[in-house]
Amino acid sequence: MSPLPDSLLEAVASAAVREGLADAVFTRLSTPLGRLLVVQGPEGIARIGFEEEPEDALLAGVAAELGPRVIASDRELAGARDALSAYLEGDEDTLELPVDLRFVHAPFRRIVLETLHDTVARGEVVTYGRLAERSGNPKAFRAAATACARNPVPLVVPCHRVVPSSGGIGNYGGGAARKRVLLELEGAL
Amino acid sequence: MTANAPALPPFWSLVEAHGDELLAHARRVAGPEHAEDVLQDAFLRALRAYPRLRHAEHLRAWLYRVTTTAAIDAHRSRPRERPVAEPPEVGVTDDVALDGGFEALIAPLPEAAREPLRLRFVEDLDYDHIAGRLGCSPQAARQRVSTAVRTLRERHAA
Repeated sequence: MSPLPDSLLEAVASAAVREGLADAVFTRLSTPLGRLLVVQGPEGIARIGFEEEPEDALLAGVAAELGPRVIASDRELAGARDALSAYLEGDEDTLELPVDLRFVHAPFRRIVLETLHDTVARGEVVTYGRLAERSGNPKAFRAAATACARNPVPLVVPCHRVVPSSGGIGNYGGGAARKRVLLELEGAL
Repeated sequence: MTANAPALPPFWSLVEAHGDELLAHARRVAGPEHAEDVLQDAFLRALRAYPRLRHAEHLRAWLYRVTTTAAIDAHRSRPRERPVAEPPEVGVTDDVALDGGFEALIAPLPEAAREPLRLRFVEDLDYDHIAGRLGCSPQAARQRVSTAVRTLRERHAA
């Protein structure tokens, strides 16, 4: 049996997006950090998964959160693909993509991630305590750490720039090795 | 989504799992030159209906039916063309031909077998509705369709 032509799939995806039939659009992207699965929700990038995360489970979560009309399209997400590739390959200094944090239900965690997204630029790092403080609750450094650990949109919301006050680079959802690569790329190490 | 809505799988997982066989099905029912357009239309029809499905079962069979219906509608909307030169292949019940080809395909059967096949595969009715049209019980309607399919298959295998 012959596989479906990409042109057919892209035509379906474009028409679906045009007609408002897509609850979410995803794309698979090869990067220096390995393969990423990037999901766009109604307002921006809602989910990014590293290649270790099983794709079936990730997409099932997207269907449960955003709706079942989940479609794939490289073309519809060309802007996000280009921005992520340029950033991770060192061709661009900034990664500016709209973000959709509807996967984050806990209000404080959401504030933490918004604060991180809006205030911690490339080349900077903050401690969990400092991030909690900037988010309006200096005592909530553990909650800030949890927010980072469960960040649904790594890279776009730069949780790799949050480090422990005890020194070292600390943990990362995508593994400490990737965190190191990112911080080196950004000149923070 | 409401609390009692079925947990539907991400639509694209169905496309990736069944797309190849659906394209083959579209080739059989619509002909190779129309297959991709028909399948594209079928996927969009399926997407429109998808959030309203009341259960998450038999999704593959559902996609076959949507593809068949899209092929029939595409055929009806086209200006009349020369008749299909070769009758479509027939194998399983999913391989449903279009009205012209379909009639040629079922022509050797008695009318008592042809009518249930038309109701099931051209009009895409469920067995309750077929029963209503045939004036029999749903069980009997199912039996008549299944017997007719078997007869058809045996004829084409012979």
